[in-house]
Parts: sequence; C-alpha cells; structure tokens
Amino acid sequence: MNTHSIRFRLVMWYAGLLTGIFLLLCALLYLNLRHFLENDLRESQARRARQIAQTLLVRVQQTGERYVASQTKDWYEPEINGRFIRITRADGETVYLSGAPKDGSFDPRQVPALTPSSQPEFSQKLKLPGGKTLLIAALNFKSSGHPAYLVEFGELLDPVETMLDHLFLQLALGLPIAVLVAVGGGYLLVRRALQPVEVITYKAERITQHSLSERLPEAHTGDELQRLSHSLNRMIARLDDAFQNSKRFVADASHELRTPLTILRGELENLSEDAQLNPEVRSRLGSVLEEIERLSRIVEQLFALSRLDAGEAQTEWTQFDLAELAKTTTEQMSLLAEDKGIAMTCQASQKVPVEGDRARLKQVVVNLLDNAIKYTPERGMIQLHVRGANGHAILEVADNGIGIPPDALPHIFERFYRVDQARANGSESAGLGLSIVKSICTAHGAEVEVQSTIGKGSRFRVKLPLLKN
Amino acid sequence: MRILLVEDEKKVADIIARGLKAERYAVDLSHDGQTGWEMADAYDYDLVILDLMLPGLNGTEILQKIRRKNQEVPILILTARDGMADKIKNFEGGADDYLTKPFAFAELMLRVKALLRRGPVNRSSVLRVADLEVDRLSQQVKRAGKKVELTAKEYSLLEYLATHPGRVFSRTMIIEHVWDQSFEGLTNIVDVYVRHLRAKVDDPYPTKLLRTVRGVGYSLSDEVDG
Repeated sequence: MNTHSIRFRLVMWYAGLLTGIFLLLCALLYLNLRHFLENDLRESQARRARQIAQTLLVRVQQTGERYVASQTKDWYEPEINGRFIRITRADGETVYLSGAPKDGSFDPRQVPALTPSSQPEFSQKLKLPGGKTLLIAALNFKSSGHPAYLVEFGELLDPVETMLDHLFLQLALGLPIAVLVAVGGGYLLVRRALQPVEVITYKAERITQHSLSERLPEAHTGDELQRLSHSLNRMIARLDDAFQNSKRFVADASHELRTPLTILRGELENLSEDAQLNPEVRSRLGSVLEEIERLSRIVEQLFALSRLDAGEAQTEWTQFDLAELAKTTTEQMSLLAEDKGIAMTCQASQKVPVEGDRARLKQVVVNLLDNAIKYTPERGMIQLHVRGANGHAILEVADNGIGIPPDALPHIFERFYRVDQARANGSESAGLGLSIVKSICTAHGAEVEVQSTIGKGSRFRVKLPLLKN
Repeated sequence: MRILLVEDEKKVADIIARGLKAERYAVDLSHDGQTGWEMADAYDYDLVILDLMLPGLNGTEILQKIRRKNQEVPILILTARDGMADKIKNFEGGADDYLTKPFAFAELMLRVKALLRRGPVNRSSVLRVADLEVDRLSQQVKRAGKKVELTAKEYSLLEYLATHPGRVFSRTMIIEHVWDQSFEGLTNIVDVYVRHLRAKVDDPYPTKLLRTVRGVGYSLSDEVDG
C-alpha cells in the first residue's frame, strides 16, 4: 500500500483523530462516573453518620451508650446490608462495632483505626487485608456535657468497582471495533470519492503528443474533481493547439524555403548547361550549385527533425530483425570505411526482433556509422554490435577514433553542434546527424547514450524495447 | 506530346516550361487550381505536372477530379512538403510520381521522360555506352571487350547511369535508387563509389565515360566535354 497516497493519509488521519476523540470521551466518562458513584456513596454514608449523631448521640446522657449501640444495630442492620459502623469514644473505647456481614465480605474487627482529623466530617478509603477497599465517612461529634465521639459509617466499594470494571471492559472492547468500522467505512468512502482520480490518471497517462485530440472523462458530479478534469482538458486543448500550430509552421516554412531553392537550383542548372560557357564561370556555377545542394540538405534535415518531434514518424511501423538491418547497413557502407582503411565489422549473431519505422532506424545506424567513420583516423577500427538483453535491443557502435572531449559530451546531440570546426575535417555535415539519431530514438521510445575517451575512441549505445516472440 | 503544368510560383513554372520546351514538348501553363482543372478537363494531355499548394483548387483536389473522370493521363506531383502521410495520400489518389522541391532539374526531366515512355527507354538486356557494355541479365560489365569485375553496389550504380546515357543524375537520385532514403544526407557515399567505379571502368582507358557535373551530379556519356 502506498503510504503517501491521499487515500491512505486521509484514512489514517481520520482514524487517528477518531481514536483520540473516543479515548478522551471514554476517559471522561469513566472518571466522571467513578467520581459520581463514590461521591454518592460517601454522601449517603455521611448522611447516615449524621443521623446516628443527631438522633442517638445527642441524648447519650439520658439513654446511655448501650442504648445507642442497640438502636444503631436495629436501624441499620449492618450485618444484613454489608455495612461497617463503628462508634468510638474520644478516649479510644469502642462504643459500638458492627458485626461481620452475612456474606462474609470483610471482617469489621480488622478495619484499622482512621487517621484522626480535626475536621467535623471527613472520609477515607481504607485498604482491607483481603485487598478490598472500604469507603468510610466519619463524623467528629462534640457536645458540651459529654465526651466526644467518632462515628464511622462505611461500605465496600466493591459494587462500584465491579460496575466500573465492567464499563472499562466494554469501552476497551467497543472502542477498537468502533474505530475499525469507522475506518473501513471511511476507506470505502474515500475510495469511492477518489475513483475518478484513478480514471483520470489512467487516461492522462495514455495521452501522448500523438493523441492530443483525446480528452479525459468528465464526470458531471459538480465536485472538485469535475473542475479538475475540466481544467486538465482545457490544458490539453491548449497543448493540442500549440502542437498543431508548430506543425503548421513547419509545413509553411518548408514550403516557403523550398520554393526559392527550387528556383535557384533550376535557373543555375539551366545556366550551367549552356555549352558556350567559359569553364571558369561554369566552375563557379558548380560551386554555387553545391552550396544550394548543401542548403537543401540542411533544410531537409531540419524538417525531418521537426516532423520527428511532431510525432509524424510512426506512419510505417513494422516488426523486423535489428541484427539483419545492422548487417546489411554495415555492408552497404563498408566501402566508405575501406576508403579510409578502417576495419568495420558487425557482430550480430542472434535475431533481435524490434518494432518501429525500419527506414528511420536504418538512418540511425547509417548516421552512427557515418559519424564513426568521419572521426576515426585511417587504419582505425569500428565495431557494430547488436544483441538482445533484459528486454532491450542494444545496438552499439564503438570506434577507436579521436574521441569526444568531456565538456562536449552533453552537447553532441544538440542541433548544429560541432565539437570544433577542424574535427569535421571539411566535411559537408551540418551537425544534424546525431540530433536526427536522438529524435528518431525518442520517437521509438529508445535511449541513446555515449561514452568517450579522448584519443581512445567513442562508444554510442542505442537501447530499444525488445519485441517478445 | 503535350504537357499541362499547373504551378502557381511563376518562376518555378517558367524554369520547368523552358526546360520542357527545350526538350521539344508542347507546354500549357496554368497558375491557379481552377484554370488548371478546366484545362485538364478540356484537353487531352499526355502528362500533367501538378503542384500541390495552389490557389483555388489545390493539387490533391485536381488529382481527384481528373481521376474521377477516369483519365489515364500520367500525373506527376510536385510538392514542397514531403510528409509521408502526404505521399501516401496522393499515391492512393492516383498520382504516378512524386517529386519534392527543391528537385534537380535533371531529375524532373528523367521522370517526365519515364512517365511519357517516349524515346529510348532502354529495355534491351544489354546497355551500351561507347565501348562499355552492361549486361542486365548476367550483371556482367565489359569495356572494350574486356570483362570488368564490379561489386554489387558498383554494378547497380553503373547500370543506373547507363539507362540514360548523357543524362545527369543527382546524388539524391542515385542514393534513392542504388541505396535507399536512409542514406540521404550522406552524399559522399556516392562520390566514394563513383571514384571506385572510375578506377575500374575509366582509368585503364583513354576515353573517360563517367563525367562529374559539378553541383549537379554524375552522368555516363561518350560526348566530349565542351
């Protein structure tokens, strides 16, 4: 799962936030309830302690301590109700201590004495030896004429604890389930909401410069995604326009340049056919004609480049064997190499099936070999190597020529770039051959790269997708 | 032989018309598409040379109109754009040949001649230029009765030049015919092959047949250079 996807992040944020809020709510609920229940219990115990003090102890002078003890036992029935009552005189004598509760939940005799307090009313929680907690509300009863008494009224916190434990368990179990359900629902919702994004992405990936007339799907939901796809579509339309304009420009420029060239060439050819012509003039005319031919060739190459860039090269795609193409091309150009005493060989043992415009890819081989021949001195060596490896068809042209300086390497595929004038040793090339190689490769989804060492030679490598048989 | 030339660039039209007239063809000229079509409709021509970008009707439309009339007349298209799509469209539309500007005039003349099938379209199996013999069946070449050993490419080049003795072939034409379009821009390949051919065919003999026409191309001819 892509942890950077909007879907993932949205759901994670959502889940985190939800868990946080739930935890806070549960904690509040738990603590508040605990506080409320304990307080309630404490209040009712304090009330009862007050009752004992105000109804019985007030008249202890008249009735005697024994009466107080028996009355307390009768009224509150501590053994039945599981209560703890203790009345202690200020001198430490216990006036009354409730008996052990019927359910045997604690032993009143083991309840330790409270830490004395000067407050008239206070409460304390005591840990009993059995691990149980006793909540005791205490009352200091003072009145003139008789000794002070401490009235303690207590009850086990057990039922409260049990109830709170129960609640805790339910919350602890319920929270993850609630979060899980919410996250699941959220995930589905987000996925549904983002579905159009997937569709738009898929479609946008498939729009290239050759299919700019296509558009992205626009769901008429009125939401942000509709606006996005609408904006994208308008952008594609503008791109389309720009491409069409540049194509039209190339066609127009092509026409405008070719017509005067045709006239120049025709007139001069006509002139030079005149038999009366002085040889000197004829030679000059020939020189001008050569330049016109060169100019025409540059114009041709420029338009070929523009057309390649505009994506018009895909008209004649076929499947063919690159190894065979390399072999025949090497053969056809062998005389050019021989002429300079260069040993040019082609290694292509196995078939290397590729798909593309055969004539264009042949031009790649021709231009690379021509380039190698140009920059390899006499008696040099050129090797063409074609092989298939890892789903790629690889074509390498290696020479042991003069090499390319490192600072020139990044520029050699640029139009009209020349390493330096002298290197072209007076050739007619305009510095477009390698740009054409690059453009053809790009149009075929191929990569072309070069390694070179000054004085040792250069190695050009073209990497095409290999066709699976 | 009557040729209709539809070309809106007046200078281009003049040069072509002049050249054709020098070859003793009758030439009718039209500078716009509408008139061009009307003329093609009204008269029987032996050949129509049609520019593609024309005011009024464009070349492709005229081509379709002429072909709809089912005319057998050969049509040669001139164009200043050479997109592959254009080429295919026009060949499908019934064009017989296609020439991209700027073309060598010599090339236009060769194509016109081929389309009109006039004059010595040499179909014999042996082509002769002076004492040079090119046997197209056995692919053997003899000079002054002696066999000359040529490589396959050298042979194709010589045979091509020998089909029209005295005609000048541009390097572009030679590349397209002997090699293929992929070698365009690599004109020195022609020069190298011509040099090798010369060494075998011309150098041992007093009369030189392979002529260089500077700035234009090569020709095979026994005429003494003026």
